[in-house]
Amino acid sequence: MGMSAGGGGSGLTNEINVTPMIDVLLVLLVIFMIIVPMSRKAIDTQLPDPNPQPAQPNVNPDQIVLEALPDDKYAINKEPVEKDKLFERLKSIYDPRPEKIIFVKGDTMTTYANVVWAMDQARGAGVKVIGLAPK
Amino acid sequence: MGMSAGGGGGVKADPNVTPMIDVMLVLLIIFMITIPQINAGFTAVPPEGQNLKPHPEEDGDQVLGIDSEGRYYLNKQPVRNEDLEPLVKEIYGVEGRDDYIMYVKAHKDLQYLKVIDAMDKLSRNGVRVAALITEQAAGTESLVESDRIRPGGN
Repeated sequence: MGMSAGGGGSGLTNEINVTPMIDVLLVLLVIFMIIVPMSRKAIDTQLPDPNPQPAQPNVNPDQIVLEALPDDKYAINKEPVEKDKLFERLKSIYDPRPEKIIFVKGDTMTTYANVVWAMDQARGAGVKVIGLAPK
Repeated sequence: MGMSAGGGGGVKADPNVTPMIDVMLVLLIIFMITIPQINAGFTAVPPEGQNLKPHPEEDGDQVLGIDSEGRYYLNKQPVRNEDLEPLVKEIYGVEGRDDYIMYVKAHKDLQYLKVIDAMDKLSRNGVRVAALITEQAAGTESLVESDRIRPGGN
């Protein structure tokens, strides 16, 4: 109507090809929709019993307590273990063991990341249940 | 070229894609804006790990945040230290809840004392399992086989 510029009535069309753009946008949209709910991962830990029984006659003597000490040091049942040997040590303990339970006790002065690292190593070595030692 | 059906009139068979592009662009922009908004109010860099269990987000999830200053956030809302216990009790103290799991997203450089303090408060108010939110270290995969199965079946 209003436009009458240009001359040719030939078959030349000068529309932009938008199909690739739609493809890209759709892919971006799908990526965002998938990333938003999928991204969370965690380590499950059992919290200590808030009302511990005062008398514990049969405390399991062979439970494993992994300690995260300050300055990136670690110990298994009070026995210091070097950081780079920790994984092998845990694996040699848990491979033959039927019960895959560990207690993780973090020193209050160490950082949270170190404690999580220790739990992470324990999970990698086959531990199924991580119990947090009370303060 | 290939198409020669129909008359030679001005009728075009191409679908008009412009509204579709508009909708897509708007959706895209909405997503790009809302993602930082979702995380607003509370920021913490969780520690990195390798052998982690996937926990897809669900509606009823309760998340306790602890930022780098040790402040508490319950589901991203700031909470005063002394208010945390009653609020947690309100959620977990009810009979017949089907889970007693709380997600804990704490800053990685926090002193562990701050974290265990919070756990202590949770355990005294009905939480049984604390899922410590951890980021998958880049380029690693869990050594635990059951972690690698995608939740949802595929």
